[in-house]
Order: sequence, then structure tokens, then C-alpha cells
Amino acid sequence: MIDTTYALGVLACMAGVTFGLRALPFLAAKFLQKHPMVQQLGRFLPLAIMTLLLVHTLVGNARDNPQGPWAELAAVALALGLQWWKRHALLSILLATALYVALRNT
Amino acid sequence: MSSASTASTPPTAPPISVLSLSVPVAMGYVPLGMVFGFLLVQAGGAWWLAVAASVLVFAGAAQFMVVPMLAAGLPVAAIALATLVVNLRHIFYGLSLLDKLPHQPWARWYLVFALTDETYSVLTTLPPETSTRQMVGVALLNQGWWVLGTLLGALIGTQAQVPLVGLDFALAALFAVLAVEQWRSAHSAAPLWVALASYVLALAVMPQQALLISIALSVLAGLLLPQWLAAKAADKVSP
Repeated sequence: MIDTTYALGVLACMAGVTFGLRALPFLAAKFLQKHPMVQQLGRFLPLAIMTLLLVHTLVGNARDNPQGPWAELAAVALALGLQWWKRHALLSILLATALYVALRNT
Repeated sequence: MSSASTASTPPTAPPISVLSLSVPVAMGYVPLGMVFGFLLVQAGGAWWLAVAASVLVFAGAAQFMVVPMLAAGLPVAAIALATLVVNLRHIFYGLSLLDKLPHQPWARWYLVFALTDETYSVLTTLPPETSTRQMVGVALLNQGWWVLGTLLGALIGTQAQVPLVGLDFALAALFAVLAVEQWRSAHSAAPLWVALASYVLALAVMPQQALLISIALSVLAGLLLPQWLAAKAADKVSP
């Protein structure tokens, strides 16, 4: 079981950090708009961070899978391909997850 | 969205209804919220804890990320840092909305709180004359879908005894979708290659902290690489 006090502390921290990040531009608008470093990172980071989150999650999934990384590779290829082709987020997520669940439970 | 109905568009754009903008978000948020609620309950959390997370935090990727962390009992500081990293991109969302959000404090700060990827994209799509009520309405509806999905998933999770292995792949699929969309709008492929190289390096040096180290390396590269490229280009111009 997850301890309730601990979990509530975690949620409070996450809420504070998330709100702080979303509010920062409104509090520091002038500084952020002027600083070229911030704009440079703003262009560079989103793709880099998404790539890292994707790779990290895949590595985690593959580690928990005794049959090796083939199910992960097939499902992520489906998600990437579908999203590139159809641009329908829900469709890509549902079909890729369904394929992965099917591969893992056979 | 059905756009074919207005074939002969009048010069002034027809008003967009709040509900029509929120429906595609609902189609993503309800099932994803269900997966989150289900996973948190299966990981040993109370059903109301899942709902509380969706009411108080309202950040999809971070909420998914925290499920295994809560189950493993990671320190609060580590989870706060991971939340910072996962939600760092939200810093840049406000920049394009500074003038657009209403000035009434409650409406402004609720919209800032509710600035998820999807709400951001909806808010930036709304015409400039959109009323405060409509903006707050669309954000509230979006969060409502997310909380509703979470509640449904959590209730199903308390009933189901043997879950299917691999449902958590929805998170990897979500990241794949977001990566494709970032790739579409990216100016160059450099961030992708920098990220992959950083991850391989971090995995070799400190596999337990691979994500954190690789993000730090990518931030460093994001700061230094454009300057280095500019300096190299300047060298070529003046031999």
C-alpha cells in the first residue's frame, strides 16, 4: 500500500512545482522575453526532452520484459508511424498500447 | 472536428463553441485519465488519491511518471525534481499567452494552473475576442474530462484483480506522439541526436540516474551548441 501522508506530500510538491513552472512566464515576462539564452533553450529542449522521456520509458519497459525488446520496438514503431501518418493522438496511443498488451500477454 | 459544414465562410469567422473545442480533448483525456487512475490504484494507491492528483496537479505526463515513484517510495525531493524536469516545457507556454489571458485574478491564475499541453493548444487557437467565460469554460471542461477519466479508471482498478501486463505502455505511446509533434515543429534534428547521445552516455556512466543526467547533458548542449555553431560559421566567413 502507498502511505497516504507521504502520497499527499508528494502531490502537494508536484502541484507547487507544476503551478510554479506554468506561472513563471507571467511573473518574469520581461526577463524571459529579453533573454536570448531562454529562447535558445526553448527551441532546443522540447524535442530533446520528449526524445529522452520516450527512450527512458522504453528502456524501462524493455527491462521488465523477459522476452527482450522486440514488443517495445514494434509497438513504438506503430505509435511513431501512425502519429506521423494520421496525426491522431488517441488512435496512435490506443493501437500501440493494444499491440503491446497483445504481444506481452500471448 | 467537423470543418466541412461551413463551406462558404463569411468574412467574420463564426464563433467557436467551447464544447466543440473541448470534445477532441475529451477523447484523449478520458481514456488517458482512466489509465492513470487504474495504474495508481493497481500500484497500491487509494482511489481518491488518484482523483486528488488530477484535481490538484493536472499534468498528464508527470502524473504517469509518479506512479512507479510513489510505489517505490522515492524521496519527495526526488519526485519534485523529476516533476520540474518533466514539466519544464510549460515555462515556454505562458510566453505566447501573456497578452491573451484575462486580467481578472481568479480567471488568470486558474488558466495558468490549467495550462496543460492540450489546454495550451486550445487557448492559442481561440480568436482574440474570446470572452473570459469561454476561456475559463474550456479549461474547466478539459480538467473535468481528466478528473472524470481518473475517477472511472480508479473505480475499475479497485475491482480488477489480475491486470493485463503492459497497459502502462500508454505512457510510452503518449511520449512517442508528443515526440513526433515536436519533431514536426523543430528547426533541426540536432536536439534528437543530442538527446540520444546524452542518454547512451548517461546510461554508461550512471544507469540509475540516466534520465536526470541525460536531461542535464541536453540542457548543457542546448546552451553551448548554437554558440559553437555560430562561432564556427563566423570562422568560415573570416578566414
